[in-house]
Amino acid sequence: MPKCKNIAEHSSEYLDHNMPWWKRPGYWLHIAICVHCRRYINQLKLTIDTISKSPDAVPPSVSTEEIQAIVEKMKQSTKQ
Amino acid sequence: MANPSLPSDDELIPRLLAQDEASYVQVVAAYHGLMVHLARAIVGEAIADEVAQEAWVAVLRALPKFERRSSLKTWILRIVSNTAKSRLRHESRTISLDESLEESPIFDPACFKSDAHWAKPPAMWHADTPDALLASTELRCRISSALDTLPPLQRAAVTLRDMQGLSMDAICKILEVSESNGRVLLHRARSRIQMAIEECEGQ
Repeated sequence: MPKCKNIAEHSSEYLDHNMPWWKRPGYWLHIAICVHCRRYINQLKLTIDTISKSPDAVPPSVSTEEIQAIVEKMKQSTKQ
Repeated sequence: MANPSLPSDDELIPRLLAQDEASYVQVVAAYHGLMVHLARAIVGEAIADEVAQEAWVAVLRALPKFERRSSLKTWILRIVSNTAKSRLRHESRTISLDESLEESPIFDPACFKSDAHWAKPPAMWHADTPDALLASTELRCRISSALDTLPPLQRAAVTLRDMQGLSMDAICKILEVSESNGRVLLHRARSRIQMAIEECEGQ
């Protein structure tokens, strides 16, 4: 069974469902019995959800004027 | 992830190659914001827009050679990433792009005992939802400044995955890293943000 350090190191892999199948049973079992690791995983999940909702997660908006200016540059570049 | 406001790549690419202005407008409207977002993660706020504009010219130049091994969006974002990385190197910044892949430990060694169990277990947090965490101005600022201090590729990985919702496969193509390095970049970035929250919440 993995130790707490392994649980923390592979927690993104676990939350992103990228963990190989053969690693999962030991991982689940550890989380089921270890309150600290359960808390760590829950806090990492909360961190990810918070990042996705943070003001930094919003891509900058682009105005119609900006779009037109970029398109003009693109047209110019194809003429060169 | 396909953009619903855009025609399929099969329809769009020939139109772009034919220099159709309406298609230029569509593609810039759909992707320029995302491109600036990614460029900002790598080169910072000040020159992100310039890098994204430079990338558009590179996109048009390279489009005839586009081999369709990824979606148009992934390919465009890869050009942004490469443009931003060369810009960073050109400006001889002291930041190493590969800093995040060095062998430094993700966790403070004091967190774990020699038997790899917790020496300093995570403390309870006061808030238990993203909205509750983000309601605190101090915490919002901490998260933002933790993001700002991430090494460029870590910040790019977290921007693409947790903010833009791209798949790991697309992220690895965009950043030109292996799948295992991509996972390390993302986990290190998330762990640093988690630590920033922990400093506030875990008291």
